[in-house]
Amino acid sequence: MNAVLAQALGPTARATSWRPAAAAAGVLVLAALLTGWSDRPADTVLALAAAGLAAVVVSGLHDPAAALLAPVPVSPMQRRLLRLGLLGVPALLVWWLLTALTTTVGSSGPAPLVALTACGVAVTVWAPPKRAVLVGASTPVVLFALQALPTSGLVSDALVWWRTDPWWVLCAAVVACVAGRQR
Amino acid sequence: MSTVLAARSAAPAAAPSTAAVAWSLARVEARRTLRNPFLPLGLGFALWLLWEIDPRTEQWSGGSYEGMSMSSVSLMWGLSVAAAFAFHRERLPVAVGAPVPEVVRVLARLVAMVPLLGLAGAFAALVAWRERALGGLPIGTEPGRTTDALHTAPELFQHVALGLLAIAIGAVLGRRMRHLAAVIPLVFLLWWVAGAFYWLYGNPVVTPFSLVQVQPILVIVGPSEANPLAFPDSWLLSPPGEYQDGWGRLFVSASLAWWHNAYLLGVALLLLAGAWPRPGRRTLLAAGAILAVAGVVGQFQVIP
Repeated sequence: MNAVLAQALGPTARATSWRPAAAAAGVLVLAALLTGWSDRPADTVLALAAAGLAAVVVSGLHDPAAALLAPVPVSPMQRRLLRLGLLGVPALLVWWLLTALTTTVGSSGPAPLVALTACGVAVTVWAPPKRAVLVGASTPVVLFALQALPTSGLVSDALVWWRTDPWWVLCAAVVACVAGRQR
Repeated sequence: MSTVLAARSAAPAAAPSTAAVAWSLARVEARRTLRNPFLPLGLGFALWLLWEIDPRTEQWSGGSYEGMSMSSVSLMWGLSVAAAFAFHRERLPVAVGAPVPEVVRVLARLVAMVPLLGLAGAFAALVAWRERALGGLPIGTEPGRTTDALHTAPELFQHVALGLLAIAIGAVLGRRMRHLAAVIPLVFLLWWVAGAFYWLYGNPVVTPFSLVQVQPILVIVGPSEANPLAFPDSWLLSPPGEYQDGWGRLFVSASLAWWHNAYLLGVALLLLAGAWPRPGRRTLLAAGAILAVAGVVGQFQVIP
């Protein structure tokens, strides 16, 4: 099975649309350079980067050949993992570059990025297939937007869990993905 | 025989005119666009930002005035996403014998975006009402200070110009990108990063090219040791601080806002050219370039 995935690596990389990812990375690096140059804390930029990069990675799950590949003995989840690896590694490298270019008041670890990506993947797995990737890619940015809305109590806390308790969010999303591994 | 003759003599059903088909498509697209879930999300966040602005709790003088200009950024995000959805449908293959050519279809989709511009206009009206309800906004530091500043008409019109730009961004990305999922993060980063860097747009060198014009513009007019009473009475002043060397003049101008709106409309036309079919694209590019360049030059002329 690993040999099949290794064989699929090259064609999948060629079939992946890299331009949106490159454009997103360019915007974020420019933002980090400006923030670093002005000597301001980069917490907002990193929060934006977590949501934006997570959405980019999840949007990469779109497989134009999904219907064609349905009969092959590689499950959709394995193909998703292949694509996640292809886009996830560059996303982490961009994150590392952003943290190197800026200074933050809080934590600068990639946990929020990983947690939001996992949330997006979990939604992609469970959403109706026709719009699964679209809804999944929207999840990180919607979560980012919702955290700023005026809520209180548990709802308010839950909307920022991806920042305050990212590893728990990651665990929950992974459980959701495992539960939907046949989808 | 008589049946055949009767069938031949019956008039064929009249084909709908191009305008009727275009109008029908525009209505369908407008209905679908207004149901896009990103619109209430972006609008809700913009309304909340607007409501949170309170001159009594502003962290620096003029913060409320600047905040009112920036409050519509998340709405623009929603408009861009909604436009991208509409224009992405243009990528669906259409039969060669389709009743209307691509130009008409694009035009119909643009007509369908008019309610979104109406939304931006309504938001601008809400901003105008809100700052009047607050009794005006403070700008500057004594001896150059006012407490009842209101945005001028061109400053408020910027929300509409930004709405057109947001639609153009969504249109070109939706029309040209293979999958909508890739558009979502790009539009998000574009508008939210633009919103995060509002502090940069007050720089006189940056403001003519900025996505959102945030007045007042800060122009350094004297060293830290300068006597502020020596400056003209009409000037709004900003004292030296952590991010500012020397005394600054806070420059507010309706002309500057008009020129910036011209620049935004020019950029919007340039972007729309990317969503427009080949015939007519050059005209849009030329008109956009002229407007954008005139807008930038005009702004540099106005900034002291």
